[in-house]
Amino acid sequence: MRLLVIEDYRPLRQSLTKGLREAGFAVDTTGDGQEGLWYATGHEYDVIILDLMLPGMDGLEILKKIRTQGRKSHVLILTAKDTIQDRVTGLDLGADDYLVKPFAFEELLARVRALLRRGYRKKNPRIRVQNLQIDLTTQRVWRGQEEIKLTPREYALLEYLAMRAGQTVSRTDIWEHAYEFNSSASSNVVDVYIGYLRKKIEQPGKPPLIQTVRGRGYTLGAQP
Amino acid sequence: MRSLRSRLIIGVIGGMLLLLTVFSLIVYAAIRRALVNQFDASLTSTARILAASVELDGDEIELEFDAQQMHEFQRPDRPTYYQLWQHDGTVAARSPSLGKDDLLRLEGPLGTPVFQALQMRNSKPGRAVGLKFTPRASGPDRNPQPVKQQALTLVVARDASDLHRPLDFLQWLLLVASGVTIALSVFIATFVVRHGLNPLHSIASEIAAIREDELATRIGTTSIPAEILPIKNRLNDLLSRLEDAFKRERRFTADVAHELRTPLAGIRSTIEVTMARARETTEYQTVLSESLAIVENMQTMVNNLLMIARLDACQVTFRQEHICLAELVNSCWRPFSEKATERETTFENRVPNDVTVNSDRENLSMILSNLLNNAVEYTNEAGQIWVTSHHTGDSVEITVANTGCQLTNGEAAQVFDCFWRGDSSRTDTGAHYGLGLALVQRLIRALGGSVTVELQPDGIFTVRLTLSNSLRI
Repeated sequence: MRLLVIEDYRPLRQSLTKGLREAGFAVDTTGDGQEGLWYATGHEYDVIILDLMLPGMDGLEILKKIRTQGRKSHVLILTAKDTIQDRVTGLDLGADDYLVKPFAFEELLARVRALLRRGYRKKNPRIRVQNLQIDLTTQRVWRGQEEIKLTPREYALLEYLAMRAGQTVSRTDIWEHAYEFNSSASSNVVDVYIGYLRKKIEQPGKPPLIQTVRGRGYTLGAQP
Repeated sequence: MRSLRSRLIIGVIGGMLLLLTVFSLIVYAAIRRALVNQFDASLTSTARILAASVELDGDEIELEFDAQQMHEFQRPDRPTYYQLWQHDGTVAARSPSLGKDDLLRLEGPLGTPVFQALQMRNSKPGRAVGLKFTPRASGPDRNPQPVKQQALTLVVARDASDLHRPLDFLQWLLLVASGVTIALSVFIATFVVRHGLNPLHSIASEIAAIREDELATRIGTTSIPAEILPIKNRLNDLLSRLEDAFKRERRFTADVAHELRTPLAGIRSTIEVTMARARETTEYQTVLSESLAIVENMQTMVNNLLMIARLDACQVTFRQEHICLAELVNSCWRPFSEKATERETTFENRVPNDVTVNSDRENLSMILSNLLNNAVEYTNEAGQIWVTSHHTGDSVEITVANTGCQLTNGEAAQVFDCFWRGDSSRTDTGAHYGLGLALVQRLIRALGGSVTVELQPDGIFTVRLTLSNSLRI
């Protein structure tokens, strides 16, 4: 899942980025409002974590522009402003959640996960595809009774496929949602990681979970 | 101090009492005088009739009237007496009812009646008139010229009960009327004063109803008397000023909270993310030193805030010293020289060696350090910073200037506001809280000076300090 962090206070931005990456997210980051707007309107982020007081451009202005351009990204406002009026203004301008600084990092993670589930219409934090189970909270994966150990990259890929289980997901989608803007990965990498993932989750003698749809991408589980 | 109400009531009643007393006395005196005059006139006419009936026949005095037949002397309820003296003091005649008693011999100038109050025999009040006259001679042919020594004195006294009865009544009437008026006026004055003071009560209750968190309310404008209107208006002015002050205070507190929240969020998130898993020692060290840097910045901010609060509350004491300005500027510059070298900023201390000032060294160096810190922070790459100074009359002017300022004139006017930052992208480091110039302004005021900023079109930002050459302690 791909996130954008727009926060001008460097220590916070750095620790957020580090923490979110370690939680398995692909994170783009900026401390400037204008640059933030450029990122937010140019890419399909799953969640944008947005500070309000920013140099270059105010956070609420960015939010307004994202929404007028029709971006579906979920926006979590992260700010030191805590009055009810501030929250109401933020939410009414199209934000999906509001968290006041200082906050517990665990809570931020939980809220981001909740926004992700909402984005893919999954109420249950456990996704089941045939006998494959994915726990979105603990990021653990089972095939039947057997737990499968995945690297963060493999997990990110599987999670995205699982969120859209049953749909055909293009390489570009995967690349957009599972990899960071600055990463050197190209869409070839997607095929490589699909290969790694197949090795770990497919079981011999059973029909494959990840199917290649020629010319279009991949599907996790049976096609509808 | 007694209440306004009792003072007004006592004043009104006292005034009424005084007025009524004076009025009553005047009325009483006037009526008494009129009655007495009337009485005296009647007494005089009786005396004149009597005198007219006295004839002098040679040495013989004859009374031609019959006292018993004269109506005046017949009334038993109002006895009238007379007595006639010859000029040598022998009694020529007296009323029979007097018996052996004498009346007081009243004598005035010839022909002019004189009056006196007296006590009658039955101890009732009476009045007497004395008339000195020359009796007619019985034969006009014999002695046409009356002789002086033949003047007689006639005194007529009459019971004055008739005179005193109405006066007594008048006295009582006036007393009772005054008493009743006073008693009634107590009620009326109490009512009027209470009613008149009602606006004060309503204002008082309106003021009492104002809560300290609802300073936006104002005292109502309805039915306020003109005398209280200025008080109401001044109170409303005071309320507006208080409201503004409270608003500023609240905004300031909110700003402080906001400014502290962001670095706190930074520390918390840094620590939480680090603790989420086991890390290398070097990583812990990095995180700890980062957190320490944030804490140090927060500490600076809190210290500055505390200093501002103390200066605002006039709780800072100063110690006057003779300071060589050029040396002080050099020592203040030292901590920034390394950073300036990194940024290739050139610094020039153009303060002449002979410029000295009598001021507080510690606070003046705090001012200069803040200004130099700002200059280093906001000057352009390879820019210039310079400090100049000269005496102007009784004070010393110091300017700190730097190139590369990107503020607009409108922004330059805001630099002294707490938490205002010209270039908010510098919040990145968290090292600037926008308190430096706010502190400088308060410090220089406390030291007895002023500070202004100037912005030239070529981006030269100048802070001009005017410092009094002696502390106002």
